[in-house]
Amino acid sequence: MTEPASIVAVVAVTVATVVIGARGVRVSRTPEDFLVAARRVPPTLNASAISGEYLSAASFLGIAGLAMLDGLGALWYAVGYAAGYLVLLAAVAAPLRRFGAYTIPDFAEGRLNSPILRRAGTVMVLVICGFYLLPQLKGAGLTLQEALGGSYWVGVVVLGVVVTGVISSGGMKGITFVQAFQYWLKLTAIAVPALVLLMVVHHPPLTSIEGTTTPTFHRITKVEFPDAEFVTLATPTTVRVDGVIGGVSHDGVVTLDATDYRVSAHSVLTFPAGSRVPTVTSGAVLTASQWESPLVRLNGKLIHPLAATYGIVLATFLGAIGLPHILVRFYTNRDGPAARKTTALVLLLLACFYVFPAMFAVLGRLDAPQLYTTGQTDSVVLVLPRLATFGPWGTLLAALTAAGAFAAFLSTSSGLMISMAGALSHDLLGQGVKAFRLSAVGAGVVATVLGLLVGGIAINVLVGWAFAIAASSFCPLLLLGIWWAGLTWQGALCGLALGGGASSAAVVATMVGAGRTGWPAVLLGEPAIWTVPLAFITMIGVSLLTRSSVPPDVTRKLLALHLPERIRLSDQVVDG
Amino acid sequence: MTDVVRPEGVAREVIRSPERRVPAVPNSPAADDLYEQDEYARTLLRSLIRAQLAVTLSVLIPAAALLCLYPLLAVLFPALGRATVAGVPLTLLVLGGGIYPPLVILGFWYVRRTERMEHRFVDLLESHD
Repeated sequence: MTEPASIVAVVAVTVATVVIGARGVRVSRTPEDFLVAARRVPPTLNASAISGEYLSAASFLGIAGLAMLDGLGALWYAVGYAAGYLVLLAAVAAPLRRFGAYTIPDFAEGRLNSPILRRAGTVMVLVICGFYLLPQLKGAGLTLQEALGGSYWVGVVVLGVVVTGVISSGGMKGITFVQAFQYWLKLTAIAVPALVLLMVVHHPPLTSIEGTTTPTFHRITKVEFPDAEFVTLATPTTVRVDGVIGGVSHDGVVTLDATDYRVSAHSVLTFPAGSRVPTVTSGAVLTASQWESPLVRLNGKLIHPLAATYGIVLATFLGAIGLPHILVRFYTNRDGPAARKTTALVLLLLACFYVFPAMFAVLGRLDAPQLYTTGQTDSVVLVLPRLATFGPWGTLLAALTAAGAFAAFLSTSSGLMISMAGALSHDLLGQGVKAFRLSAVGAGVVATVLGLLVGGIAINVLVGWAFAIAASSFCPLLLLGIWWAGLTWQGALCGLALGGGASSAAVVATMVGAGRTGWPAVLLGEPAIWTVPLAFITMIGVSLLTRSSVPPDVTRKLLALHLPERIRLSDQVVDG
Repeated sequence: MTDVVRPEGVAREVIRSPERRVPAVPNSPAADDLYEQDEYARTLLRSLIRAQLAVTLSVLIPAAALLCLYPLLAVLFPALGRATVAGVPLTLLVLGGGIYPPLVILGFWYVRRTERMEHRFVDLLESHD
C-alpha cells in the first residue's frame, strides 16, 4: 500500500538530518574536531545524542513486536538495554574519559602496550558494528516497503546513501546535533501515538485478556492474508470471505466450523465483533496467562526459561559497555565527572522511552490481534495507529511512527558508520579528514550491499548477536583493564578471541538452524550465559599464567584511569 | 605493583586528552611522583581507587540482584507471573515501567556519592602537599 503521509514524514526526517548535519560542518574544521567534536559537548546535549544514537530499529520496532508476539517476558530486552547504562556509568564512563583513549582499540593498546591487541580490537569493532548495521538497513527497507509499497532494496539504498553522505561530509560535530534531535523525535514519535491510542481510542479493558483465553476481535475486523496460511478456529464463526478458503472460492458470508482451514494468499476474511482470533500454524497465539509470564520464550516456547531469561539479561546488561559507537561518544565529555553526569542522564532518557514499546505491545494485543493471524507483529508500531483509528488521525499518527522508525535507523547507522570509518581510517589508511571520508564511503558501500542480502534474517537476531558478542569480548576487556592491575595483553587477546569467537559461532549455528529444542536451543540462541563467563575466566587465567607481561608502568596507567582531574600526573601516561 | 618505569623511545600514536598535560596545581609534585616517594600519598592514592571500586560495587550488586531476582521468583512461584494489580498484569507494571525508577535512582545516587568521595580525597592529598 502507498501511504503519502508516511512518505512525506520519512523525507522530512531525512532532510532535517542532512540540514542539521550540514549546519555542524561549519563549526568543525580541524581533523580532531571532525572526529571528537572538540570535546566540548555539554552533558544534557551529549546524553540526548547518546540516547538518540542508541535507540535503534530493535528498540523502536522490535521490542513492541516481540512482546506482542512472545509475551511480556520480551520486555527484558528493553530493561537490559537501559540497565546496561548503569554498568557503563559505575564502572567505565569516568575512567575511560580520564584515560583519554577514545576508541576501544586505543584503550587496548594504551593500557596493555600491545599493537597486536589493538588490531584484534579493530577487527572486533568491525564485526560488532557490521552486524549491528545490517538490521538497521533491513528495518529501513521494511519501513519504506510499508510506506511506498515498493521493493525492499529502496529503503536499504536510501539509508545507506544518506548516512554515508552525512558522515563523510559532516563529521561528528554535525552528528552530535543530529543525534540529539533524533532522540527527541523518536520519543515524540512513539509517546504521542501510544498516549493518543491509550486515551482516545475505545478498547477493551485489560481484564479481557485474563486467564486461559486467547484474544478476541472487539470490533468487525478485516484480515488480509499476504501468504497462504492454515488457520484454526476455536469456535464456529460466521465470517465474510473474499477469496479462497478450504479450496472453495467465496464472495460472501460463510459459517466456518471449529477446525482447520487452508486460506489462500490474498484472501480477505472479515470477522464479526466478539469472535475469537484464529490461531495459525506458523505461530501459536498465546493465552493470557502465558502472555503475562515475565520469562523469555525461545521460538515461541518456554525452554529452560530461567536460563534463557538470564541469557538475555546478561547480554544486554553487559553488552552496552562493549558497543564501539557508544563508547566513542564519551570522549566528547569535558572530563570524568561530565562523563558520569552524561551517563546518568542517558539512563533516565532511556527509561522514559522504554515505557512506550511496552504500551504498544499491550495495545497491539488488545486492538490489532489480526497481526497474530498474518504474522506481522513486528510492524505493530507502524500499523497500529492506522488499524486502531480511522480517518486522518490514524494516517497522521502512522506517519509519525514511520518518521520515528526512520530516525532510529538513521541515527544508529550514523554512529556505527563513524566507528567503522574511524577504526578503518586510523588503522589502515592513516589519519586525516580525507582518509576518514574514504573509509566512510567504503564502509557505507559494503554495508549497503550486505544489507540487501539480509532481508530474510530477523532484526532481533542480528541485534542480539551484536550485544552478545560485545558482552563476551569488549566488556571483560574494559572491566578488567580498568579495575585489575594483573591483566596482560596475552590474557586480553585470548579472552577476546575465545569469547568473541564462541559467541559468534553459537549465533551462526542458531541462524543455520542448529539447536531448536532443549539445552542446545538455549546455549546457542542465548550464548551470553556461557560465553561471558568463558571470556572473563580466559582473560584472568591466561593473565595469571603470563604475569611477567604485566606492563611495567601499570601503576601509572591505573592512576591515569582513576585520579580526579584536579590531581595531575607528571607527564604523558598513555603512550611510552 | 612495581616501580614506575617508562619505556624509552617507543613512539605510538594515541589520541589523548590535552587537558591532562596542564597541571591543575602548578607548584605541587605530580601524583605519580608522590606515589613513588611518599608512603602516605601512596596509601591515599591506593585507597582512593579502592573506595571508587567500593562505590561502584555498592550500585552494581543491588542492580544485578534486582534484575536476577524477579525471574527467579517467577520460576519458584508461578502465581507471581499471573498476578494482577488493579486489573493490570504485575509483569507489565514491573517490566513496563516499575523497574526503571530504582535503576535511575541508583545511577544518580552513584554520581553524587562518587563525586563527594573524590572531592574528599583530593582535599586530603592537597593538604598533604
